[in-house]
Amino acid sequence: MDTNALIAVMVALPIASALFLNLLDKKDRTIKILAIITAIVIPIIPLLTPYGSHFFGGYVPLAQNATLAQGLPSLITGTQLFQFHPGIMYVFTSAQQLMVFVLGLITFFAIFTFLNETKRPSGVYAFLMFMGTASVSAILLSDDIFNIFVFFEIAALAQVGIIVASGIKNNYETALKYILLGNIAGPLLLLGIVILLGVTGNVNVTDMIFTFKQGYVDPNSPVILMSLALITFGWLYASGLPPFHTIKSAVYSKALPHGAALLQAFSVFTLVAIGIIILRLFSYNPFTNIAIIGISVIAMILGITMAIVQTDYKRILGYLAVGELGYIGIGLGLGTAFGITAGLFQAVNEAIITSFLFIGFGTVLYKTRTSNTRKLGGMMYVNPRVALLVLLAGLAMAGVPPLNAFQSKLMLIQAAIQSGLPELGIIMILLSIVTFMTFMKAFYTIYMRPKPKELEILDNKIPRSTVISLVALLIICIILGLFPQIATNSLQTLAVGLV
Amino acid sequence: MVVDSQLMSFFTAGSLVVIGIFAALFLDNLIKKIIGLAFLADGVNLFIITMGYKPGGIVYIFLPDMVVSNFAQTASYPLPFALVLTNIVIGASTLAVILGLVIILNKRHGSLSASKILRDKGE
Amino acid sequence: MSFYDIILKRIRKIQEKAEEEPITNVTASAMLTAELTLIISVLVAVVMVRLIHPVLMIIMIAAVLVIALMAMPIMPRLRREQNDDLNNMMFYVVVALGIIVALFYWGNLNV
Repeated sequence: MDTNALIAVMVALPIASALFLNLLDKKDRTIKILAIITAIVIPIIPLLTPYGSHFFGGYVPLAQNATLAQGLPSLITGTQLFQFHPGIMYVFTSAQQLMVFVLGLITFFAIFTFLNETKRPSGVYAFLMFMGTASVSAILLSDDIFNIFVFFEIAALAQVGIIVASGIKNNYETALKYILLGNIAGPLLLLGIVILLGVTGNVNVTDMIFTFKQGYVDPNSPVILMSLALITFGWLYASGLPPFHTIKSAVYSKALPHGAALLQAFSVFTLVAIGIIILRLFSYNPFTNIAIIGISVIAMILGITMAIVQTDYKRILGYLAVGELGYIGIGLGLGTAFGITAGLFQAVNEAIITSFLFIGFGTVLYKTRTSNTRKLGGMMYVNPRVALLVLLAGLAMAGVPPLNAFQSKLMLIQAAIQSGLPELGIIMILLSIVTFMTFMKAFYTIYMRPKPKELEILDNKIPRSTVISLVALLIICIILGLFPQIATNSLQTLAVGLV
Repeated sequence: MVVDSQLMSFFTAGSLVVIGIFAALFLDNLIKKIIGLAFLADGVNLFIITMGYKPGGIVYIFLPDMVVSNFAQTASYPLPFALVLTNIVIGASTLAVILGLVIILNKRHGSLSASKILRDKGE
Repeated sequence: MSFYDIILKRIRKIQEKAEEEPITNVTASAMLTAELTLIISVLVAVVMVRLIHPVLMIIMIAAVLVIALMAMPIMPRLRREQNDDLNNMMFYVVVALGIIVALFYWGNLNV
């Protein structure tokens, strides 16, 4: 029986720690110690866990259970029942390892900066952050589509909590809008899932694919198309692709910088996880790939053009983050093994770079308490080192060698040309340039132009931990940029399995 | 006229979903919008229950004096009911969060109108 | 009137449209960049229609070009449309749901 309990620990540990932190609301020291220990352990677990799968409650399929399978009649061994997964199953391969590791790393940096930038760290806020990490890890690992839905809802609630806790003006309004829209998308996603359950009799993705492949169900029946459409709609909400790009960017701009860094990582990895499920289930239908590419192109164009005209730098970053999601979607939508690898690699890079940018620009908020670019200027004098780090983050996002997004964007463009769609490559290059221009516009207004007279710069020193986080993120960007095979080798197996 | 109760139940679920989306779109009062969203979630729940319905089916609990083959033929499928229970719990907690937010916003703005509270603040 | 003059006239128009905030060089040039990016990327994206039929692509590109030039300050309108108003967002969400469901039915029949 190859069941591997460490896989479940990846989800269980952050939840358990979160619940403890919630109880310890006023005990500052204990909160700090517990939060930092959990944040260190979370990225380490996936590195130690061997590949395999975990069956909750030990309910393995009959085919893998030697004692039960003995002497069963051919009525059972000859049918689907023999392969059927009776319980929730988590699958852990090299791709999941890399993505859960990167998510854990971003959680660590978010918690690390949060604990040092806040005077009295709140246990409830740490609870929300760990809860979100746990649910997104579960979404990445789970092979059970209803389990994914449950964690999708928990992640949405955790995100709402992170916005509410920020204390930024109008954050309650944004939180309410986000959760109201989520209450349209969530039930409709569930409807899509239960339609699949009704047709195939299963909620396990592997079993559903088996049912399609064996011809028990007609995969082109209108009912299944309805389910595909509804699951795609739920996917749009979870990842913030249009029409949810406005609310998603508002959500990023209403969270504190470390919260926003984490929130965008949640969106990126949920996009990847549910996108993979959609591809696994429905890639027989050529329109799935066309739809994913179409939505991604719209996301890129709308996200990046809207980013240019914003004046609040957190909103600029929010829209840029949404626009960059389109690159991942194009990689997934191309449907070739190379394209999907490129898309997944871009997802890993984007999660790191956008956190880098959010935490980097967060220092401006820390020093001035404003995020309006019209009121800012001259921050270069205040802290030139942080300004340089932020500039490097912007270069990374635009895809300048030797930083990591260069490798993944190059791979994406090559994949687009190989698939016979060079237009997508042109759009990606064009929008990369505009992304860089948008970033430079924000960078110029905040850091380089003369300081406005009214601008008050607070006397608090930028915590050393923030600078350490930024440098660490920069080092990861450079390592992935120089040695992309570290990531692509891990991601390739998953991508090849999807084609 | 004999009406198939399962079919009617599906129609009810469908109309609940449509009413829910209508209310969420066109009603301005936040509480009414939320009631609409609750309708939407309940429509989906009803859809799941209806899907698990089996004419002449029995509860899926195996009692000692049952015949295995008879149980296997008549017991209804347990998974949809388990899903509905989970979804009701999720729905209740989400609703609690939404109503909590509405209470705070109502105290701040003294209004429940979505077009007043949740309009674009231009930032 | 040369193409440059048309663009210049349109920029002035854009400046007038972005009335809600003080117009600076940065806002006007940002608006113009966004406008050009939008039109160019849509045009390049439309080239992909060639996979369906080359003639259809030519017609569509001509149509998009004419529409874009006629309705040229698109960005201020697009920006006003993508605001943070809940009713507005909800409307687009439901419209998108309808489009997605319809496209998946139609797409499977015709692709």
